[in-house]
Amino acid sequence: MTDHATQAFALRGVSKAFRYFRLENLNLELPLGQIMGLVGPNGAGKSTTIRLLMGLIAPEAGSIEVLGHRVPEQAAVAKERVAYVSDDMRLFSGATLGWHMRFVARLYPDWDEAYAQTLLKHFNIRADQGMRGMSRGEHIKAMLLLALARRPRLLVLDEPTSGLDPVARHELLTELMQIVRDESRSILFSSHNTLDVERICDQIAFIDRGHLVDARDKESFIERWRRISLDVPTGVTLPRLKDAVDLTLGERLATLTTDRYEPALHGVLEQCGARVTDVQRMSLEEIFVASVMRSRAEVQS
Amino acid sequence: MKSSVFWALVRKDLYVLRGFMIITVVVGLASLFSMRFGRAGFAVGGILFLTANVAGGIFIAMYSLMTERKEQSRLFALSLPISGYKCDLAKLLSGYLSYGIPWLILTAAGLLGFLLPGNAAERGMFVYGLVLQLFILAVFSFVIAWLFIVKSEPMAGIAIMVSNIGFSLFMVSLNQPAVTRPLRTPQITWTPFASWALAGELIVITLSLVLTIFYMSRQRDHI
Repeated sequence: MTDHATQAFALRGVSKAFRYFRLENLNLELPLGQIMGLVGPNGAGKSTTIRLLMGLIAPEAGSIEVLGHRVPEQAAVAKERVAYVSDDMRLFSGATLGWHMRFVARLYPDWDEAYAQTLLKHFNIRADQGMRGMSRGEHIKAMLLLALARRPRLLVLDEPTSGLDPVARHELLTELMQIVRDESRSILFSSHNTLDVERICDQIAFIDRGHLVDARDKESFIERWRRISLDVPTGVTLPRLKDAVDLTLGERLATLTTDRYEPALHGVLEQCGARVTDVQRMSLEEIFVASVMRSRAEVQS
Repeated sequence: MKSSVFWALVRKDLYVLRGFMIITVVVGLASLFSMRFGRAGFAVGGILFLTANVAGGIFIAMYSLMTERKEQSRLFALSLPISGYKCDLAKLLSGYLSYGIPWLILTAAGLLGFLLPGNAAERGMFVYGLVLQLFILAVFSFVIAWLFIVKSEPMAGIAIMVSNIGFSLFMVSLNQPAVTRPLRTPQITWTPFASWALAGELIVITLSLVLTIFYMSRQRDHI
């Protein structure tokens, strides 16, 4: 990590085109010591974003910095302090986990053997196990062990929990929260499991069809989004509210979804003749779906 | 960084492929030995020797590159602190080493056989052996270069098809009496055919290497 680095990573105006997909004008930053959840449906551009960040593919426009190093030009230096695990990554099939542990330990000065042994027990995997004989979940655990025990400054995880059973997933998320107790360590965590993201992340970014839909800290997502149930008497027409993401009208009942909730909104609605009957907080999954639907509608219009 | 990632990746491939390397050498040496036992032994040993050389090369190239891509362990290698270009370079070097070491042992053993006192009557066949072995190395160089450039399995299959056809045609031309007769002498004789063949083989090997490295250096996306 360079001395002047204040951010784990920063992508500015990054674009990358493939034959059938285009990631466009991506702006994303993660301060040191935080966990960012990158949430998006399949094919949204999560893996492309991560591969750009790791220097595996080069952007066509924009700039990328990881721990103060320009990527892809200085990706090899940046990767000395970055660990990356992906759902579609595999270890070398002709070797055992123990061989991989020795292999990685030789390359990384911060390799923590005691921690690696602890993780072996936590994850219930064996060092003498060959990679060919490992189940999908065991394989992911093995890769996570190799990533965590090198004590990286930035941990980049692309759908890491998808092959794990609930217990292993719980253990992994607990480990990740332990890691960021050290304020100089950061995690980028991509997933379409919003429960995992909601549980551990400080920052959340929604991505869909190659566009960044929204990115902010988790608390402001949770605080700003509400679903408001309304009693709308016959003859009352609700005005077009700029803060409404969605408005579903029934015969007399209406549901308004907003991403800029303030108690003052009650007054505005009641002035229009509607009565607020209920105000519900939304889960991250509901916020994600509403954000994506709005973004798609905006693109289409 | 405690140790060079480049050399760690080269050593890794040699470790993973150590079994194939040992099998290639053992089968190759055993086949050379069996060639000393009459005409049948010579024929069986010869076929086995060529199989160990040619199939070993194609197998190592295919396993080293295609399997790693298919199994997605390449992504793990690229996650290490190394540039995509150097990662590819390490793969190319390890490919040449994992095939080149057994090839060198078998070529040396085979050619030495022509130089032994008991085989003095056919010492000239040293040239035949050298032309054949370099052709096999050229086939390996072509296959590994092709596999670096193409990404799909059907396209990789074309390399095997082309090398099979090329090898068959080469063996037919190499075994023409007009080619082999001048070489069945007690002296080592560099016939025009042998000289041209050697030159062609060296050109193919060099071109394959240079073009592969040039192609790697131009790559911006490594996955």
